[in-house]
Amino acid sequence: MNAPNQLVLKREKEGSARLAVFFVALSAALVGTYAGIGVDKVLTHHYDFWFCVILGGLGWAFRSVGGNKPVIVAATLLSCFIMLTFYQAPLLRYLILAALLFAMGVYGMCRQRNAVRVLMSIELMLNAVNINLIAFSKYVDPGQLKGQLFAIFILTVAAAEAAVGLAIVLSLYRNTSTVDMDRFNLLKW
Amino acid sequence: MLGSLLAAPIVETWLFYLFATMAVVLAVGVLVDRVVIRSGFILIGVFGSIAALFLLLSAQFLALAQVMIYAVAITLVIVIALMLTNPRMEDDTIVEKAERMAGPAQFFLSVKQGFPLWVSVIIFSTIYVALTGEKRWPVSTEPVAQDVVKVLGEQLTTTYAIPFEFASVLLLAALMGAIMLAKNEKKEVEPTSSEDQKAEENLALSR
Repeated sequence: MNAPNQLVLKREKEGSARLAVFFVALSAALVGTYAGIGVDKVLTHHYDFWFCVILGGLGWAFRSVGGNKPVIVAATLLSCFIMLTFYQAPLLRYLILAALLFAMGVYGMCRQRNAVRVLMSIELMLNAVNINLIAFSKYVDPGQLKGQLFAIFILTVAAAEAAVGLAIVLSLYRNTSTVDMDRFNLLKW
Repeated sequence: MLGSLLAAPIVETWLFYLFATMAVVLAVGVLVDRVVIRSGFILIGVFGSIAALFLLLSAQFLALAQVMIYAVAITLVIVIALMLTNPRMEDDTIVEKAERMAGPAQFFLSVKQGFPLWVSVIIFSTIYVALTGEKRWPVSTEPVAQDVVKVLGEQLTTTYAIPFEFASVLLLAALMGAIMLAKNEKKEVEPTSSEDQKAEENLALSR
């Protein structure tokens, strides 16, 4: 057996162990998240979730038939969003939109390999937080507008974060000549 | 007149869905577009539609600040960083072979490879359940203060004066840190690879 095959075999063994650890961690996180709320309550009181699951399955079916992936993803997300928010109060609409943008930012942050795109996803998450704060300042606290003040501070921190983060990315690119997140292992012990 | 028109609930609902649609669709474009520089430019659209949402929420000052800081400054910095770095990715990621595993292992593997998707779905559904579970926010019916900028300025200079000063210190520190990090230091060692030589040539050209 030559070297690459041994490498593949070793990776497979490591992969099974990692898979087991991963699933224990994932189920622990799921149980911990929904234990307080009650899974049965979620499943019986939120019929809109089931419609969202159906819509997601529909989008997956269209995708597997073949089609433009961004269009299908955007259409599915939009129809789920409109269905989840149409009968809600105006404050909840803004909060759910912010939650959707935040979740999309988390997805991009975990998924992308380009470091600059990770920073873009982080900016998306910060914007979602800003929407939350300003919606609260309009609907809950219209006299004092404290939410807008906090949004101003978040804007400041976001500007500082973008400047320092992109400087770090440039410095890393100068030293390693790549912006791939998988290849940054300077701090690995 | 325009204010009274905007204050009508049906108009506000339609405008909210218009700008929310723009924000969500453009955010999908940012996430899935293969050309990195194009997704950097689509980000301007996301920030612009979020600024329009701020206008709907009667936060005029923050809408303009959003346009100035996010849609111009931060996106400009991001685009410049994209131009200075080479976004070519190496395609040698470890793809775990699915066909050699047993059935359950294949299923688990496919779930694991979609891990970011599951994380974001769980985050969204948890936030949604927490938001719609109880009526816990005392929604006030009084109108928003007419002079938003006056209220903000008074609070920034009286109640929140110390955080304001800390924010300026933070900006100064971030400015200095960014300059320190991005400064092109002279290298001690001889350039060995072609990348180093290219960097040296660029440095020489810029002098």
